[in-house]
Amino acid sequence: MIQATISHLVEQLRSVVGSERVLSSHSDVMVYECDGFVIEKNCPDVVVFPATADQVSKIVDICNEADVPFLPRGAGTSLAGGCLPVGGGVMIVLTRMNEILEINVRDRYAVVEPGVVNVWLTQALKGSGYHYAPDPSSQGACTIGGNVATNSGGPHTLKYGVTVNHVLGIEAVLADGSIVQIGGPAEESPGLDLVGTIVGSEGTLAIVTKVWVRLTRNPQGYRTMLGIFESVEDATNAISAIIGAGIVPAALEMMDQGILVAVEEAFQFGFPLDAQAILLIEVDGLEAGLDQQRQQIVDLCMENGGREVRLAADDRERQKLWKCRKQAFGAIGRLSPSYCTQDGVVPRTQLPTILQRIMETGTKYGIRIVNVFHAGDGNIHPILLFDERDSDQVRHVLDASAEILQACLDLGGSVTGEHGIGVEKISFMNQMFSEDDLKVMDQLRIALNPENRLSPNKMLPTAGACGLEQRHPARRAAL
Amino acid sequence: MSAIEQLPINEIRRPQDQAELLQAVQACYEQGLAMYPLGGETALAFGIPARDQGIGISLSEINQVVDFPARDLTVTVEAGLSLASLQTTLAAEGLCLPLHVPDAGQATVGGMVATNANGPARYGFGTVRDYVIGIHAVDGTATAFQGGGRVVKNVAGYDFCKLLTGSLGSLAIISQVTFKLRPTPEKWVSLVCQIPDWETAESCLAELVHSAVTPTAVELLTGPVELDVIAEVQGSGVATLVVCCSGTEVEIGWMQQQLLQEWQSQGLRGPALSGREHEALWQYLVEFPGAGSNALSLQASMIPSGVVEFIRELQQLDPQALIQAHAGNGVVVAKMPELPAAGLTEVVVGKLQPLARRHQGNVVILSAKEVSALTHRCVWGGTDMPFELMGRVKKRFDPKNLLNPGRFVYP
Repeated sequence: MIQATISHLVEQLRSVVGSERVLSSHSDVMVYECDGFVIEKNCPDVVVFPATADQVSKIVDICNEADVPFLPRGAGTSLAGGCLPVGGGVMIVLTRMNEILEINVRDRYAVVEPGVVNVWLTQALKGSGYHYAPDPSSQGACTIGGNVATNSGGPHTLKYGVTVNHVLGIEAVLADGSIVQIGGPAEESPGLDLVGTIVGSEGTLAIVTKVWVRLTRNPQGYRTMLGIFESVEDATNAISAIIGAGIVPAALEMMDQGILVAVEEAFQFGFPLDAQAILLIEVDGLEAGLDQQRQQIVDLCMENGGREVRLAADDRERQKLWKCRKQAFGAIGRLSPSYCTQDGVVPRTQLPTILQRIMETGTKYGIRIVNVFHAGDGNIHPILLFDERDSDQVRHVLDASAEILQACLDLGGSVTGEHGIGVEKISFMNQMFSEDDLKVMDQLRIALNPENRLSPNKMLPTAGACGLEQRHPARRAAL
Repeated sequence: MSAIEQLPINEIRRPQDQAELLQAVQACYEQGLAMYPLGGETALAFGIPARDQGIGISLSEINQVVDFPARDLTVTVEAGLSLASLQTTLAAEGLCLPLHVPDAGQATVGGMVATNANGPARYGFGTVRDYVIGIHAVDGTATAFQGGGRVVKNVAGYDFCKLLTGSLGSLAIISQVTFKLRPTPEKWVSLVCQIPDWETAESCLAELVHSAVTPTAVELLTGPVELDVIAEVQGSGVATLVVCCSGTEVEIGWMQQQLLQEWQSQGLRGPALSGREHEALWQYLVEFPGAGSNALSLQASMIPSGVVEFIRELQQLDPQALIQAHAGNGVVVAKMPELPAAGLTEVVVGKLQPLARRHQGNVVILSAKEVSALTHRCVWGGTDMPFELMGRVKKRFDPKNLLNPGRFVYP
């Protein structure tokens, strides 16, 4: 963008939000050059911080008039480049819109602004007997607006579903600057489910400025277990057996030995370091039924080659176990200078196969791969360890990642369970979907975002995005 | 009434497979002929009455189970399969799709998804949109497309599963659906009590929000319930509250005892029905929207705390109305044996829609005998809805406006 255009834009945007709320100097906007996906970087030309939907609307009007691209951003924790300002333009950062506007326990909903951090809502609900169910591992930092954009998951989605299952309504600024409310606190509204359609659209259909979320009753009790296994295969067989027995755990997570060592070093929980795999299994619900379920799970683990199943003694131990799991990625720095994770999904009965394929792929490319993932959902997160200063390793990591995701597709799965397509996985869209599927997706995009100024070059290969050639995988966090 | 009687069609095409479906849509697209997608033909009265002459496209022959990897807890079926057939297949593996629609032996999965039909279990198990994880369809330009996939967690691409759920066949004809499944609950119990007055109704529902019990359904019924198991407990109260719970035997035992205790402290009591008695009551609850001959049936949705007031005002408008509220969800289904004297428009547009709006909700008509009064405003409600925006989507999927033309919400 030429400097004169930027100066004019900045002047106009300042008149909307105030001069303190617009950034355009290179050192300021560099903070916004990428999100959690750091392979591709590009600075926005201008960053603006609105405080109201009305201001967002005016900002969009200004961008349309100047014919410049614009995109929303929350906390920037997304992992697929959804917030990457491809081609520059105006970045609309929604973190100032961070009020919890209403909590209504009787009617089981809350209304929040998009910049509210996920965990704030659950904290605000403390003592009410209710919580907000989607709990991505980044919940201490990520915003609910961002969760809506990416349809975030988390460990407890196995039983409680992902973000879209908990969003009743949205207020959004459309690509033409108009403000619209879709849905609301009532469960049904006539017409198309545009709420469900916009959730997970990665900021390409609308900028969400308010969210009506469903609140979920706190379970009466928990049983949190640690199943210890001699082999990854035994652990995955146990998962199949548990689900096959008609038990739907609240969460069912796996860590293999590689990650276990790092996590133990970081948090000193007392994990058995010689175990090849552990399962973190949580059942919740009525106290009356929990011990029976716990016993069933213990039996099934032992029948499937489990060495031992430990039970979290109290809430403190439970919280510590969850901390180990949710912050596992933070411990990886102990294993390697750089890492890269993937977000594939397979039918859960295919877990042994995909884990085998991951191991073979690692061996083939000489890359060490460790695993920590949402086993109950079949949502894998293989972490490829490498040194980004070694260009051969970098190339191998990219090739190995592509091979793993291809294996997920071959097994009937998906290349992303919760992180999104963003810019990272655009090149896989042609493999997951036919030309016609993508054409129809593009029609939907055109219906709501006809000029394609809102988050261009994202998600759809047909939306003007050229396949970005990736050269530098780098440190990545995951959920 | 058959589809030929209810719709402006003189022909129904029954493609035998997906390829023939595509050909049928292609032919209509080329000729500019209106298409009325048909499933089990159990909900044809839903929507604005059709006017454009066209043909019916029935999915009745496209009805196979495509893939049922039971241990993955998913199933992929063609749209013309009846919901009852699907449940039978699933039950053999101890699984279920916890969605309930009237006349499930006739109603198809495609129709259920297209109409977003939901039953009493929505309180505990959610609705259609929570279970559809993959979908295939043919749009108004005869383009076959799919969204989602066959895995339970997937965020690749736009979510056509959500977009097509409840779209009333107006964007595309749904041809195949993948659902995620649940294990069949081991046991059910229905706890029934008579509500003496409306203040108690609201306080009792509000208490349930904080109850330790986790119900699968919370139903409030007014009017005479034509069911022996209920008739015995019905007294002089204003309504009957039914709380259904599902779970393991131990859980059911605990919930039954707990809820009866909670009710007792509120001065309420009632029997616990299990086995066949529960099943008879459940059947009644599921069939309610479709049962009987009614001049008008409608569905209102609002915040749950508005339900009691809504029912009271509805009863004043028509004391004969039969009402079933999925009270925990804020959804009220009402059936009127005769049209109220004030007239359909006056009652629905003049009274009920504003009343629902007061509770942040809306009213839609499920079926009505007086078809001439079924205007857009009357069937789909308020002017404050983003219908224009939905119209933009419709234009992209069906630019010639051939799919169920004039029946859905588009302006």
